Amino acid sequence: MTDIGLIAIGAGLAVLTGAGAGLGMGIATGKAVEAVARQPEANGKINALLLLGLALTESTAIYGFVTALVMIFTMGK
Amino acid sequence: MQFIMPSAGKWIAIALSLLLGVGALVLRARISQLEHTDEGYRAAKKKRNLLMMAGVLLLWLCSGLILSSFGLGEREFTVSISPARMDLFGLSVSSTVFVSWIVIAALTLITAIIRIFVIPRFQETPRGIQLVLETAVGAINDLAKEKYGQKNEGLASYFFALAALFIGSAIVELFGVRPPTTDLSMTFTYALVTFVLINVYGIRKKGVTGRLQSFVKPNAIIAPFKLLSDLAIPISLACRLFGNMLGGMVVIELVYYALGAYSVGMPAVLGLYFNAFHPLIQFFIFINLSLTFIGEAVEEQMA
Repeated sequence: MTDIGLIAIGAGLAVLTGAGAGLGMGIATGKAVEAVARQPEANGKINALLLLGLALTESTAIYGFVTALVMIFTMGK
Repeated sequence: MQFIMPSAGKWIAIALSLLLGVGALVLRARISQLEHTDEGYRAAKKKRNLLMMAGVLLLWLCSGLILSSFGLGEREFTVSISPARMDLFGLSVSSTVFVSWIVIAALTLITAIIRIFVIPRFQETPRGIQLVLETAVGAINDLAKEKYGQKNEGLASYFFALAALFIGSAIVELFGVRPPTTDLSMTFTYALVTFVLINVYGIRKKGVTGRLQSFVKPNAIIAPFKLLSDLAIPISLACRLFGNMLGGMVVIELVYYALGAYSVGMPAVLGLYFNAFHPLIQFFIFINLSLTFIGEAVEEQMA
């Protein structure tokens, strides 16, 4: 196997962090929908909290993505 | 200069997309419309929409055929993690830095124009541009007040300027230029400013000993972890913004690359999400998180 092939496998493994982030975001959104269904008047506050939580959850996926990009663009040369 | 300018094919695609939109609107106006109360109004409306869609599709196919016949469709996929460098009077400057200078110059001009021509004409009841300005300033003031605990004009104005710069760089992306936010050096700079602000406000509020004591607050064992998580704040802020912006740019570049000569109008649909909505959310998150961390540093902890 060539070096670039190994790098590609490593980058692919790095973006697997997206699976966890997707799970977490799905759970958070589901809970937010439940909360709004129970208390529709708290819509605004729940929305703001959800956005912040989603961004924090999403960052794990982003770290994986950045790792993959760094692997591809810097290790291949 | 050729590094920051998009290729000729991309420029033509962007211009043709605009033409396509105008053409669709003209087409819509040309098709005769029945009165709202007339018989068969719904059928006529449906027919009109169908005709418009067919017209847009035809225009899109024509533009693709024309572009590919001139050989403007071939693009190479060249996305790099670090932006291209350019020569500016003997200085090697990264192209995104140059773009951000342009954005800053434009923002300075706009603020000067607003200060000279708009602000003296403010009235008691806000209208038009005054209403927009007052709403924006009020929103960022409220956010800073909510996170910081009390009114803070300095923080609010800094984050307002940051938001303006970020939005300016998002608008630049719509012209096909690589935006400064896809450069790790820019996002890391502003994350470092946030880190400095956290410590400055924390020390100003509690003193040096108080700030150091906050690291050993519940227990002394936890101190290294708290120190580490504080040091990770700028890295995580910078990487989050950078990764999101670069990811959006890579997706859009891939769409341009895959569609080739037919990339007229189509990327605009995706661009609405990746170039308009997504950056705005991420900028809001960046500012919100920065303010949250600053508020955390200054808040009085329960003993």
